[in-house]
Amino acid sequence: MTDPSTAMTDPTTGGRDGFPHLVRAEWTKFRTVRGWVAGMTLAVVLVVALGLLSAAGSHASCGMGGVETACTLTTGPGGEAVSDRFFFVHRRLDGDGSITVRVDSMTGQIRLPDASPGVRNVVAGVVPWAKAGIMVKDGVREGASYAAVMVTARHGVRMQHDFTEDVAGGSGGVSPGSPRWLRLTRSGGTLTGYESVDGRRWTVVGTARPAHLPATVEAGMFVASPGDLTVSRGDLGGASVQVRFTEATAVLDQVRVEGRAGGTWSHDDVGVAYEADGRTPHHPGRFTESGGAFAITGVGDVAPSVDGVRVESTLSGLVAGLVAVIVVAVLFVSAEHRRGLFRTTALAAPRRGRAFAAKAVVVGAVAFAAGLTAAALTVPLGARVLRANGNAVLPVSTFTELRVVAGVAALTAAVAVLALACGALVRRGAAAVTVVAGLVVVPHILATASVLPLSVARWLLRLTPAAGFAVQQSVPEYAQVLGYYSPQGGYYPLPPLAGLAVLCGYAALAAVLAAVRIRKGDA
Amino acid sequence: MRRELRAEWTKARTAPGTAWLLSAVVVLSAAASAAVAATVSCTAGGCDQDVPRLGLAGIQAGQAAVAVLAVFAVTGEYGTGMIATTFAAMPRRGRVLAAKAAVLTGLTLAAGTVAVLASVLAARLILPGNGFTAAGGHPPPSLADGPTLGAAAGTVLYLALIALFSLGAATAVRDSATAAGVVCGVLYVLPLIPRMVADPGWRRLLWQATPANAGLAVQTTTHLDDLPLGPWEGLGVAAAWAAAALLGAWLLVRTRDVRA
Amino acid sequence: MRAAIEVIGLRKRYGRTVALDGMSFTVLPGRVTGFVGPNGAGKSTTMRVILGLDAADEGSALIGGRPYRSLRAPLCQVGALLDAAALQPSRTARNHLLWLAHSQGLGARRVDEVIEQVGLGAVARRRAGGFSLGMRQRLGIAAALLGDPPVLLLDEPVNGLDPEGVVWIRGLLRSLAAEGRAVLVSSHLMSEMQDMADHLVVAGRGRVVEDTSVADLIAAASDGRVTLRTTARTEAMEALARAGATVAVQDRDTLTVSGLEAGRIVALLGANDVPFSEVAAHRASLEEAYMELTRDAVEFRATTPRDGTATS
Repeated sequence: MTDPSTAMTDPTTGGRDGFPHLVRAEWTKFRTVRGWVAGMTLAVVLVVALGLLSAAGSHASCGMGGVETACTLTTGPGGEAVSDRFFFVHRRLDGDGSITVRVDSMTGQIRLPDASPGVRNVVAGVVPWAKAGIMVKDGVREGASYAAVMVTARHGVRMQHDFTEDVAGGSGGVSPGSPRWLRLTRSGGTLTGYESVDGRRWTVVGTARPAHLPATVEAGMFVASPGDLTVSRGDLGGASVQVRFTEATAVLDQVRVEGRAGGTWSHDDVGVAYEADGRTPHHPGRFTESGGAFAITGVGDVAPSVDGVRVESTLSGLVAGLVAVIVVAVLFVSAEHRRGLFRTTALAAPRRGRAFAAKAVVVGAVAFAAGLTAAALTVPLGARVLRANGNAVLPVSTFTELRVVAGVAALTAAVAVLALACGALVRRGAAAVTVVAGLVVVPHILATASVLPLSVARWLLRLTPAAGFAVQQSVPEYAQVLGYYSPQGGYYPLPPLAGLAVLCGYAALAAVLAAVRIRKGDA
Repeated sequence: MRRELRAEWTKARTAPGTAWLLSAVVVLSAAASAAVAATVSCTAGGCDQDVPRLGLAGIQAGQAAVAVLAVFAVTGEYGTGMIATTFAAMPRRGRVLAAKAAVLTGLTLAAGTVAVLASVLAARLILPGNGFTAAGGHPPPSLADGPTLGAAAGTVLYLALIALFSLGAATAVRDSATAAGVVCGVLYVLPLIPRMVADPGWRRLLWQATPANAGLAVQTTTHLDDLPLGPWEGLGVAAAWAAAALLGAWLLVRTRDVRA
Repeated sequence: MRAAIEVIGLRKRYGRTVALDGMSFTVLPGRVTGFVGPNGAGKSTTMRVILGLDAADEGSALIGGRPYRSLRAPLCQVGALLDAAALQPSRTARNHLLWLAHSQGLGARRVDEVIEQVGLGAVARRRAGGFSLGMRQRLGIAAALLGDPPVLLLDEPVNGLDPEGVVWIRGLLRSLAAEGRAVLVSSHLMSEMQDMADHLVVAGRGRVVEDTSVADLIAAASDGRVTLRTTARTEAMEALARAGATVAVQDRDTLTVSGLEAGRIVALLGANDVPFSEVAAHRASLEEAYMELTRDAVEFRATTPRDGTATS
C-alpha cells in the first residue's frame, strides 16, 4: 500500500484492497512473528509426541494355547472387527431354499461378580442380547458372511446379517407355551426373514443381501450369549469394565429345510477359545437332540466387536496441542489491540469486518494445516506402534481414517477461529484463552477423564463446543451390542459430523459477534 | 513491606476486573457444582459416589477464574508497560511479588470460601431430589461432617495455591495469553498425562506429581485407599508447584530487565 | 554542589547491539539538564538504568550518591515520567495516583494536590484509558511530582502535547529547577530544548558526545563570526584588521568578521567613526549545533569535524 492513489481506493470497488490482499497481508503478519509460528509448531509436536508416547507405552499380548502372541482380531466381510462365536448345528444348502424352526424356550446362566472371593457366583438367567435362531452362513469360518433371524432374550425378534446390520422384528421373547416360529428363505443373493407365533401366519422381519454368499452355504440353528457387562469404579477416576461368562440354552424343534439340502446335521462351536493346553475348549457350547428337538447351548456373540484399541486413541495429545493453538490464535488478534497495531490495520483496511474475516481465514487455514499435519502423522504412526506392541487395533476403512484425520484438522481450525473471535471480543489475552480453553478443552477433559458421572459427561459433549471431538470417533456405537459406551471409552453422544457442526456453530457465532463488535467499536 | 502491600491492595481494589473475576469464581463453581448435582442420580442399583466430592466438583470450573485473576494481576501490568512504574515506585521487586501474592491469596481465600459454601449449598439442595437422601444411606454433603469440612477447607486452600502458581507462572512468562495457556495446560491437560502412560509405577508417580490431580485429592472422602497419595499430601504437591513457580518468578524478576 | 544524578561509565548490550558504550554525565540541582540525541542514542536505556529498571553490564548510576534500588521511598527522591501510555486503561486517574501514593507511604491528600497542579481536577475520576495523549502526559507528570522529589527525570515529556501544553511544561520545569531541583529532560529534538534547558548532555551511539551549557554550545557552533553591515566598507575593514580581526567581504555592504566579539567591534567602529547599520553576532541555532555534533556521533566516521554547518 505504498501508492497513495490505490490506498485511497474505495475497497468496495476492489482494487488492491480486495479480500485476497487482506488475506495475504494477514498471512505475512502471521508468519513474520516467530513466536506464533513456534506456537503452532509446538501444537503439532505436542500432538505427535504425546500420541506416540502413549502408543509406545501401550503393550498388549494375548495367550493362545499357553503361548503369548500378538492379539489378533476377527474381521467381518466389511473389514470391521467382529466377534463370531456361537454354537451352530447346520447342514449344507445348495442354491435357493429355506429353513424353518420353532424356538420353544430360552434359558441360561450368568456368572456375577464373586460374592465371596474365589467362589464362582453363577445364577440362572439370560442376558438381554442372548440369541437363538436360524442362520445361513458362508461356511463355519469366523468372520464369514451370514444372515440370520433370531429371538433374543429382551430385544424381540431380530434379522441380522454381516455383523453390523440389525433390523428389529416383533417384540417379546419366548417361553414355554409361547414359542416363536422363524423362517429364513434364500432366493439368489437375497435372504428374507419371517416370524410367526403359530407357524401359519408369517410376517416378514426383513431382507438382507450379505456381502458374500456362495451357491453352497451352511444353514442351521445357532445359539449365542454375549458376556455380561459390569461397570465399576476404576482407579484414578476411571471406570473398569468387566465382561463375565454367560451361556444360553434354547430348545428348537419343528426343523424343516427346503431346497437341495445335503449331508446330515453337523455341529460346530464356532470361534471357541481353548484352555492353556491348546485342546480343551474354554466354556464350550453343546447340543443334544431327541425326537427332532434340539437343545443347543451357546456362548459368545455374533456381532461387531468393540473390544480393542481404537486408532483415535493415539490422538490423546490433541487437547494439549489445542491449548497451544488457542494461545496463538488469541495472540494473533489481541497483540494488535495491545500494541495499537490495530489502528494501523484499520487504516490499511478501512472495512474492519473484512480485515477480521481475513484474519479468521489465515488463522483457520494455519490451524487446519497444523491439525492435518499432526493427525496425518500421529494416526498412522501411532497405529503402527500400537500394532507393533501387540495391541489389537480395531480396523477401520481408509475412508474412516481419512475422516478422522481431516476431522481433526477441521476441529483444530474451528477452535482457532473460535479463539480468534473470543480474542477480538474479550481483548484480554488471558481471559480469551481461558474462556476458549474452558469451552473446548475443559469439557472434553472432564467428560473423558474425570470422576464426572456418565450423564454429565454426555451432556457436556452435546452442549459445549467440545462436541466437536466426536469427529475423531472411528468406531460407531452399535445398538445390538451391549457395551460401556462412555466418552471415556471414546464414544461420543453425537455423531462425528453433528459434533463438528456444534463446534463450528459456536465458532461461527463468535466470529459474527466479533465482526459486529469490531465494526461498531473503535479501533 | 507495608507500603508494597497497601499499594498492591489499592491496585487490586481499583481494577474493575477484580470484582468480576471474584464473582466468576463463585458463580462458575456454584453453577458447575449444581449442574453436576443435577445430572447424577443415586439409583438402587448403584450409588458409589463420593458425595462431598460431587458437591465440590464445580471447583474445576471456578479454578479457571482464579487462574485468570492471578494472571491479570501481573500481565495487566506487563501488557500496558505499567510494570515499569510499579518497579520504579517499589524497587524491591521481591517484596512487590510477595505483596501481590499476599493480596491475591487473601482475595482467593475469600472468594474460594464463598464458592465452596455456595457449591455445597447447591449440592445440598439438589442432590436429595436425585436419590441422595440420609434415609437411603447417601446423605447430601454437610459441613457438620468432619471429612466433608476437611474437603471443603482443603478446596479453598487448593484454590489459593492455584492462584499462587498462576501468579508465579504469569510473572515468569509476562504475556497474558501465553500465561493463560500455560496455566490451563497445567490445570487441565497435565492431569491427562498419567493416563497416557501404561506403566503403573510411572502412572502413579505422574499422577502424584500433577498439581490438579494431586491437589484435588483433598476433596476425596471415600475410597481413600485407591488414591496414590493422601488428600493433604496431595495439597502439599500443589503447594510445591506454587512455591516452585513463585521461586522461579522471584529469581527472574530480581535479575531481569523490566521490559514491557 | 553535590550532583543529584551521577551516571558513571554505563555499558550495556542487547545481544549484538551496543546500547550504552561508556555513558557518563552528572546532573546538577537547580537547573534543567537536557538529554538529547538521535533515536537509539541510549537516552531511554540510560534513564531506565538510572531508575533501576534495567541493569547495566558495567558502570553505575547514582541518585544522591546511592543506587536507585536502595532508596526507601524512591518517588520522594526521584520523580520519573517514562512512558505516559503505560497505565492500566480501566483504572481512574486518581486511583492510578492513589496506589502510587500508597506505595510511598503517602496519603490521598497528596494525590489531590498533584492532580490540581497538573490541571486534571475535572477528569480525575475518569478512566485513564479514555485520556488523550496530552492528558496522559499530564497524568504521568503528576505521578512524577507525587513524592515532591528533589530530582525529576522525564523521558520525552513534550511528545504529543499541543503548543499550549508545551508552553505549560516548559514553565513547569523551569519553575521546578528554580526551586532548586535537578531536572533531567530527554528529547530527540533539540529545538524543544531551546527555551527549556540550561545545560545539555548530547548523546550519540551510547555515549556522551557533548556535555555543555546551552550558551556555550551555541557560541561554539557560531564560530564567533559577526556580520557587519556598513556603507563604509573600506574604513571598516582597515579599522578591524588593525585590531587583529579577519574580515571577509560578503557583498557590497556586508562583511563577515571573525576573531572579535560583537561588542568589541561596535566599540572599534565607534572609536574610528565608521558608520554602520547592523552588527550581528552569527548565532547558530541550537538545532544546527546539535546536527553538527550528532552527525559525527551517528555516522561515526573519522572525517574532519566542523567542516561546515550545512548538512543535506
